[in-house]
Amino acid sequence: MSEFENTDKTGDSQSELIEDGCNKLVVKCKYCGSKILDKKLGKFIMQEKELPLMQQDTRKEGEIQNEKVDQFYHVENMFTFENIGFTHTVDCYKYLSCADCDAGPVGYYDMNTKHSYVALSRIEHA
Amino acid sequence: MAKTYDYLFKLLLIGDSGVGKTSILFRFSEDAFNISFISTIGIDFKIRTIDLDGKKVKLQIWDTAGQERFRTITTAYYRGSMGIMLVYDVTNEKSFENIKNWIRNIEENASADVEKMILGNKCDLDAKRQVSKEQGEKLAIEYQIKFVETSAKDSLNVEYAFYTLARDIKAKMEKKQEASNPPGNRSGVHTLNDTDRKRQPTSWLARCSVL
Ligand SMILES: Nc1nc2c(ncn2[C@@H]2O[C@H](COP(=O)(O)OP(=O)(O)OP(=O)(O)O)[C@@H](O)[C@H]2O)c(=O)[nH]1
Ligand SMILES: [Mg+2]
Ligand SMILES: [Zn+2]
Repeated sequence: MSEFENTDKTGDSQSELIEDGCNKLVVKCKYCGSKILDKKLGKFIMQEKELPLMQQDTRKEGEIQNEKVDQFYHVENMFTFENIGFTHTVDCYKYLSCADCDAGPVGYYDMNTKHSYVALSRIEHA
Repeated sequence: MAKTYDYLFKLLLIGDSGVGKTSILFRFSEDAFNISFISTIGIDFKIRTIDLDGKKVKLQIWDTAGQERFRTITTAYYRGSMGIMLVYDVTNEKSFENIKNWIRNIEENASADVEKMILGNKCDLDAKRQVSKEQGEKLAIEYQIKFVETSAKDSLNVEYAFYTLARDIKAKMEKKQEASNPPGNRSGVHTLNDTDRKRQPTSWLARCSVL
């Protein structure tokens, strides 16, 4: 599945995407192009996190399939987002999804700090 | 960081179970073998940015949980919300009759000036219809609330409804601002002319003497 390919593309071209520590380009949904975050509003950070896959295989019943993600845009105030969905809370986290096609998780929201994190590998730059 | 918007409105979707509140907020379709993690957990709220007459408006739209009934929705639930979508199902007469109970609940628990709109959802299911459009309109006139029929399934009128509600909240807020802020005092928009300059101290003094 394409989920597993291309996820590290951002590694080489980081300088094209990051400027002054922030996203140089607009952050959009990979699937429908919905605008998630405007230019320069997310701070680039590296941190290793397990994120549930966007497509869960129903044949593996009862277990959630995750993958490791390590590049994020950090957004302190949720109202900075242009368009975004927040799921119900699971273990102190809410997951972020596209507000138009509901694809996700494209990142997560920490209930304790009230900060949001968008995974670079789960979105498109434009 | 500088504020990236002009207005922030919290909106709530309210109505009987099964009328389509979650469907209005959530659009995902899935195939047989894959299920989205997001649809399993469900959406709590969405943030959307719209443009209203050149102003950047953020909408925070909240779904209400399935089992909630008007008896159990109290003040805490409505806190901070400035707009409420009252949803019924045009194929379910009971859900339409209950709109009156929802309105009463809002009157008892929400802030008095909360903006409301009635949505008759599932209007794509014409063969199963139990509530006519005219009945919806009549109820809306009775309560002086705006009304539109929607289909979450076909995305019909859903966006229109949110824009309409947001526009009404904005208009109400601007009216309030104007009332508490006499024209000469508004920042940015207005440059002072001579009469304004003369008037200003007077009105300021007038206010002081009241205190
Ligand atoms: N044909 C049609 N079906 C709809 C529409 N909106 C919702 N439905 C269906 O109606 C059923 C109930 O929709 P929900 O969105 O879960 O209803 P709800 O108001 O969130 O219900 P609770 O969470 O129990 O309060 C689902 O099977 C939807 O697919 C619509 O516009 N047209
Ligand atoms: Mg629901
Ligand atoms: Zn999308």
